[in-house]
Formats: sequence, C-alpha cells, structure tokens
Amino acid sequence: MELKGLQQLFYQAMITKDADSIEALSQKIAGAKSLTPEAGLEVYRGSVIGGLTKGLISIYPVCCRLVGEEFFNATAVSYIHRFPSLSPDIGDYGAEFADFLAHFPPAAQLPYLPDVARLEWYWEQVFKGEDNKYLDIQALGAVNQEKWNDLIFSLPKNSVFFTSPYPIHRIWEVNQPDYEGSEEVSLSEGGVKIFLWRKGYDMRLELPNDEEWELLQAFAAQESFGNICGRFTNQSPPIDVPSLLPLFVQRGWIAGFSL
Amino acid sequence: MTDKIRGAGIGLRSPHYQHILIYKPAIPWFEVLSDNYFCSGGQPLDYLEKVRQNYPVTLHGVGMSLGSTDPLNLDYLTRLKDLAARIEPATISDHLAWISIGGHYLHDLLPLPYTEEALTTLTERITQAQEFLGQRILIENPSAYLLFTHSTMTEWEFISALTKKADCYLLLDVNNLHVGAVNHGYDSLEYLDALEPSRVKEIHLAGYEEKEDYLLDTHGYPVHAPVWQLYQEALKRFGPVPTLIEWDTDIPPFEIMMAEANKAGAYMEEVCLGEGRKGEEGRWS
Repeated sequence: MELKGLQQLFYQAMITKDADSIEALSQKIAGAKSLTPEAGLEVYRGSVIGGLTKGLISIYPVCCRLVGEEFFNATAVSYIHRFPSLSPDIGDYGAEFADFLAHFPPAAQLPYLPDVARLEWYWEQVFKGEDNKYLDIQALGAVNQEKWNDLIFSLPKNSVFFTSPYPIHRIWEVNQPDYEGSEEVSLSEGGVKIFLWRKGYDMRLELPNDEEWELLQAFAAQESFGNICGRFTNQSPPIDVPSLLPLFVQRGWIAGFSL
Repeated sequence: MTDKIRGAGIGLRSPHYQHILIYKPAIPWFEVLSDNYFCSGGQPLDYLEKVRQNYPVTLHGVGMSLGSTDPLNLDYLTRLKDLAARIEPATISDHLAWISIGGHYLHDLLPLPYTEEALTTLTERITQAQEFLGQRILIENPSAYLLFTHSTMTEWEFISALTKKADCYLLLDVNNLHVGAVNHGYDSLEYLDALEPSRVKEIHLAGYEEKEDYLLDTHGYPVHAPVWQLYQEALKRFGPVPTLIEWDTDIPPFEIMMAEANKAGAYMEEVCLGEGRKGEEGRWS
C-alpha cells in the first residue's frame, strides 16, 4: 500500500473511527504484544483524541468546569469530528469552539457558555500575543496644540473588546482556581462590555462604562481626536472626551499616537 | 553545533520556571518544546529567554510531520527558524513520525511503515528541512504500538539508512527503544548495535506506564530500571552522549528531575570512564 493512502486511512480511523478504514488498516498491521490490530489502532486513537481534548481543556478550563469533564470530553469529540486542526501548532486549535457551542444542542441549557468560551479564547490569544508598547508621554507632550485635532490615538495592539448579554466576567471569575467567596452568579446581573488587554505580562480584564466604551470604539476606528471631540460633544448626552483622555492614558489604554 | 551541550540536561517545563530563575540549579542544559514558544510575545517566551541567558538550550519539536506525504509546512519551519534565531539553540530535533495528512493535523506521533517509499519520503523532507533551517537536525526514534506488516526493513535498519541518506543525526530515545522492544519482541541490543555511533548526538530518558497488554510511553514516571540498564549499554557503544530527562505528565518538583539527571550523569561517568571511552578531559559535567 502506498504511504499516502495508508495515512489517509489512518486519519479516517483516528478521527471518524470509520469501520471500513479500520478493517482495511487491520489487514496491514500487527499490534503490540497481545494487542489485536484494532486494539493497536485504538492506542493511537486514544492518544490523538486525548491530545486534542487536552489542548481544548487547556484553553477552555472554565467551560470544562461549568459542564464537567465527562460532558466536555464528549463535546470535544464532536468538535474534533467537525473541525479538524489545520495548524501544526496545537495552540492554534479551538478557534471555532465558541461558535460550535452556540449551535451544539446538548449545551443549549447553558446559553452563556459560548460567550464564556469566547472570553477564554481571547484570553489565550492576548496572553501569548505580541508584547504591547507604551505611550511615549514626552513625545505626546511635544505635539503642538494646533495639531491636536489631527492626532489619531491607538489602543494597545494586543487587545480585544467584546460584549455579552450575560455576566460572563463573573462566571469566569468565580470559576478561577484561586477564587475564594460565593460562587453564586445570577444571570439577572445582566450583560457586560469587556476590554481585554495585557499590561506587560499582566492580563487585564476591564469593564468600561458606556462612555468609555464609546470612546474606545472611536479610538479603535482610528478617528482623529478633533472628530471624536466634536462628535461626542454634540451628541446627547455629551461625552467629555478631554477629561476621559488622561484617564485612558493613566490606565494604559492608549498605547500610541500618530499625526 | 552538537558540541555545545554536554552531560545530563532536563526538559524545561513551565512549573519549574521560577525555581530555575531563582536558584540557577547546576544543570548543564535544558531542552524546550519548540512549539510552545511560537508565540509572538508574552511571559513564557520571556522566561525562555531568561533561562537561555544562563544555560545552553536545545529545541525539540513535534510539528514538522517529517513522515507525512503532505508538502512540508513552510510556515511552521519559518516559525521554528525565527525561534532558533532568537534562542540560538545547540540543536534542533523532531521525530520519525507523521502528524498530518491532507493539511489536517492529528497532533500525535503516528507510525510509519519501514519501506523504501517511506525512506525516500523522509530523506527528501529532512533534507529540505535542513536546507531551510541551515543546519542538520536530529530525528528521534518512535515508541511503537503497532507495526506495518508490509515493512521491508526493521526500525533500526530504517533509522540507520535514513540518518546516512539524509545526512542527519539521531536522537536516541532509550525509553522508546525499550517500549518498542517489549511491545514487539525485538532485541534492543541488536537495535543499538546496528546504529552508527557518529550519528547519535543526544539520548532521551523517560518513564513509561505498564498496561495490561503493552507498555505505554507516557513520560509521567521516573526512568524504569530496564531503561537505565539499556542506557548503560548505549553509553558503552556511543560514549557520553548528551542525555535528557523528559517528564511531561504529572510533572514532579524540580529536585526529582534533577536527581534523575544526576543519576544519568553518574552512569555517564561510571560507564564511559570505566570503559576507558572518555575523550578529552572534562568532556562531560
């Protein structure tokens, strides 16, 4: 049998547990010691599925805790069937897990689960992502006042912001290994806007208020400072951008600027 | 390049970062799992760079998929090359295995038939990888839980031919050799005798798990007695080859890893000095 055909059969036997592939492969192999060929294949299948599942658990520990290991493992098998890994780096695997959960009927009783998964995926990406740069305050101070309207401020490059109709930050928080306190979270606490970024190596999960959220969106859209000030002053209710900007700088939410 | 490491090193694992950076233990070198550091920033990469300031480091990967019939993944090789430029490793290694087909990755070291076709495939791909990386790589022998009945060579014949044809080196995993020998009833000494000593540039030691019907390579236990015995046989044949203690599951405190490395170092000294095979003075530490 040619190598390519053999590897294709092996793949089918591992991922879909396809009976025809296992039968065809079994004619070509001898298992270890007293293992049958099928049992020999099962050793590898256990390792393949176990490895991919372990990779998902390492990225989605809170989801795993919320549904229990048995449920998570079964969910992982379904996910692995539907979404093959397309990268040699297992750290890249699992990007579609949140969307998968949103359409996975057995998880429908936990409507917040996909958003918790989304938070965990973003957390992982920010954690291992590019190191953020810091705002050069002196250079900003040197900008001529007449040019300020043309300034375009930028957020930390390695950052994400997203919303959820559920209090996923609280669900995530009470399911951390070092959390102490009541684990009770009521969905009536309502939704949340999250700005996730990294200051140095410290992960920051921030909860901007409505005004801050709007300003973050404007900065992310690379609007000029003059436009932002004009637009936000004229809207109802108005947002006082000049007083929010120093707060953003102090928090580290502004990482740079351009003219 | 392979003269940059000597003695018995330890696989660098995240639970030990702080211990290593604070106490700077007397370990001659560390091996890191390359794939874990393909990130563009973040604390793990910072830890690795700090460890590298004090120790030689080797890069050991699982993602080259050298036995696959797919084209080589140049994005992976580029990430590996970038990491190598950053870390300046003593060696780069991967496995005699395949992990992908049709662009889909299984992330497990899957077995190959030992045929002329597989030998040609691997030779071409290792040659291409070495040219891309600008250096010779080390290939690790697998743990085997099944054999393909249409193989025309034994594993050791295949490895000997491969290292010669591809002009690469061998990372001899003595635990894998023992697991395969027990699982398939072959003679581990015959295996060692077939290997060209000049190709063996690193040895791995780890613990396996005894299942009812076979041995499973889990890297979750201390090195077992038969593996220590086989290690001494390897030292007799190949000299004081740099040796690594691997531990990937149920990772113990650093002191236990260090005790295993010291044990390997003691065997190196005892066997190689005792056998009169020591090279230049102070060749290992």
